[in-house]
Amino acid sequence: MATLTLKQLKKQYPNGYKALHGIDLDFGEGELIVIVGPSGCGKSTLLRTLAGLEDISEGDLEINGKRVNDLEPAERDIAMVFQNYALYPHMSVFDNMAYGLRNRRTPKDEIQQRVSEAAELLGLTELLDRRPKQLSGGQRQRVAMGRAIVRKPQVFLFDEPLSNLDAKLRVQMRLEIRRLQKRLKVTSVYVTHDQTEAMTLADRLVVMNEGHVEQFGTPMALYDKPASKFVAGFIGSPAMNFLDATLEDASEGSGQDATLALPCGARLALRPETTVIDTVINNTLTLGIRPEHLDVLETDSPLPKGAAELNVQVELVEPLGADTLAYCRLAGQTEPLVVRLDGEHVVAEDQQLRLAITPARAHLFGADGRRLTTCS
Amino acid sequence: MRYNRPGLDIASHLLLIVGCALFFLPVWIAFSASTHEMGDLYSNVAPVWIGEAGLDNYRHLLEDPVSSLGADVMTLLFNSMIMALGIALGKIIISVLAAYAIVFFEFRFRKLCFWLIFITLMLPVEVRILPTFKVVADLNMLDSYAGLILPLIASATATFLLRQFYMTIPAELVEAARIDGAGPWRFLKDILLPLSKTNIAALFVIMFIYGWNQYLWPLLITTDADYLTIVVSLKRMLTTGDGLVPWQDVTATTLLAMGPPVLVILFMQRYFIKGLVDSEK
Ligand SMILES: Nc1ncnc2c1ncn2[C@@H]1O[C@H](COP(=O)(O)OP(=O)(O)O)[C@@H](O)[C@H]1O
Ligand SMILES: [Mg+2]
Repeated sequence: MATLTLKQLKKQYPNGYKALHGIDLDFGEGELIVIVGPSGCGKSTLLRTLAGLEDISEGDLEINGKRVNDLEPAERDIAMVFQNYALYPHMSVFDNMAYGLRNRRTPKDEIQQRVSEAAELLGLTELLDRRPKQLSGGQRQRVAMGRAIVRKPQVFLFDEPLSNLDAKLRVQMRLEIRRLQKRLKVTSVYVTHDQTEAMTLADRLVVMNEGHVEQFGTPMALYDKPASKFVAGFIGSPAMNFLDATLEDASEGSGQDATLALPCGARLALRPETTVIDTVINNTLTLGIRPEHLDVLETDSPLPKGAAELNVQVELVEPLGADTLAYCRLAGQTEPLVVRLDGEHVVAEDQQLRLAITPARAHLFGADGRRLTTCS
Repeated sequence: MRYNRPGLDIASHLLLIVGCALFFLPVWIAFSASTHEMGDLYSNVAPVWIGEAGLDNYRHLLEDPVSSLGADVMTLLFNSMIMALGIALGKIIISVLAAYAIVFFEFRFRKLCFWLIFITLMLPVEVRILPTFKVVADLNMLDSYAGLILPLIASATATFLLRQFYMTIPAELVEAARIDGAGPWRFLKDILLPLSKTNIAALFVIMFIYGWNQYLWPLLITTDADYLTIVVSLKRMLTTGDGLVPWQDVTATTLLAMGPPVLVILFMQRYFIKGLVDSEK
């Protein structure tokens, strides 16, 4: 178990490309941290600097409070699971797992014991004599994990370990990794570009974008209060809807209240925090609302208090079983508005829907993409 | 490929039989000639069947010094073996290390090193033979095994081929080994060499035959009969001055000279045929 601290960590590749621009993070003992972000945002780079496979250009990396910038990967007491498994093709499963221990001059009987323990844990006992070539993708994945586990390292690092597996196996291995991690209680950093994987695995989640940390927190905190439009669009599936909006000063009527005007004509009463209100009045903002937070109103039912009404036309329906997704057209909006309905709710294409937005569910982002705090 | 056409099958077998015959016939003629007395060969048409002498010519050659050479064929075989093994092993050791350095290590002038090695591919031994002779002579290595082996021990071809193979090894494998605590030597020994063993076996065969068949270089630097190699002496046995060429001895020696390369191929083929069929990557 270990804590991991990153202080203003920067990485510039020899070709001059700046992949990380000052990362500050602090991971606690036994936490499962997931780093998520679009492809090319620097996730692998960050993980590889943690592993010591890439050197750190600036800043500090500490494991258990000890600076490890200059230590070789093998001296950092970490283990890594690679996307393509990187098993030694000419060695048996047993030797693959034992190799790291042998290099550390672990006594023979201890190697034997640790490998069979790990094999037991991962259901590999029957396969110890096989070569990687004779294993299925899922089994190779387990061997790669076994190789990490037998070393009993301070930190596990995973770089998109499940992306070569088929969808079903991916879900199964995801659960297994979570179960193993909780059982072994080893601090783990897990990289993925898949937000579902990220949400389901993480104790805490780091969302990265273009070499920056956009937000760091628990999955639910990121879901409930995304710090930026980027995080809002990345976390949650289907993605959050974004609507252009203008904030109008509504001071004539109700003191500090302001009204959000949407291009379709709908208006929503909101109160951004007083400190930001002046700068954003009459500026273009973005209103974010998740597909699952748009409520469908029956034709004659009244609008809930404080809510705004949107009249949309259904363009496309995607029944997923438990839910149905409706892609709707909203006046003044090019992107379709996605609404998540429960599976029993029958909608037809071209049907008109009345939707309600409640201020509590609305997220507001400034022109720079940062979240505006509202107190509604 | 497999087509279900009987006509094609017969045709391809015929072609193969013709091919085999073309290769085998000269060997057979050499063998039958080697089993005749010298007189038979000069008084009759070329023999097609085994002669009276049987294997006697071989026994003489292997046991007694050949008059035109001053050494028996056993010594010649031994010398050739030392030279060919030395060249093949030396080339492999040097190429493995050179390719390892070029592919896996970052250092200044890495590209330059590679190109320097690569352009020597275009220089045959003969081009640099005079300066090489001078160097070897200055080092007092004329008439020695070292003199036979050392100048031929570097191989751009082998370095290049191994480099191509090493470059197909995924970077993650290298990194996994690094995290597993394998230093550079261990990585070479535990991972790289086992993975490239089929390539090395194939290279060994090629390089062994290359070394075995060396002619010009051993001819230049050996005068002492103790260091004579078999390929060089074949030529020498043909130049007898006034006398008749002892064809039965020449053909017997030729067949003996073919033996070791054939054995090496037979012994090594299980490695490299396996390597061609299922690459262990
Ligand atoms: N060795 C390298 N040299 C130069 N640029 C690199 C190198 N490795 C990665 N990059 C660049 O750094 C950025 C981040 O890469 P990476 O960390 O692999 O992204 P991710 O894993 O999030 O997809 C990319 O734009 C990539 O092109
Ligand atoms: Mg990556």
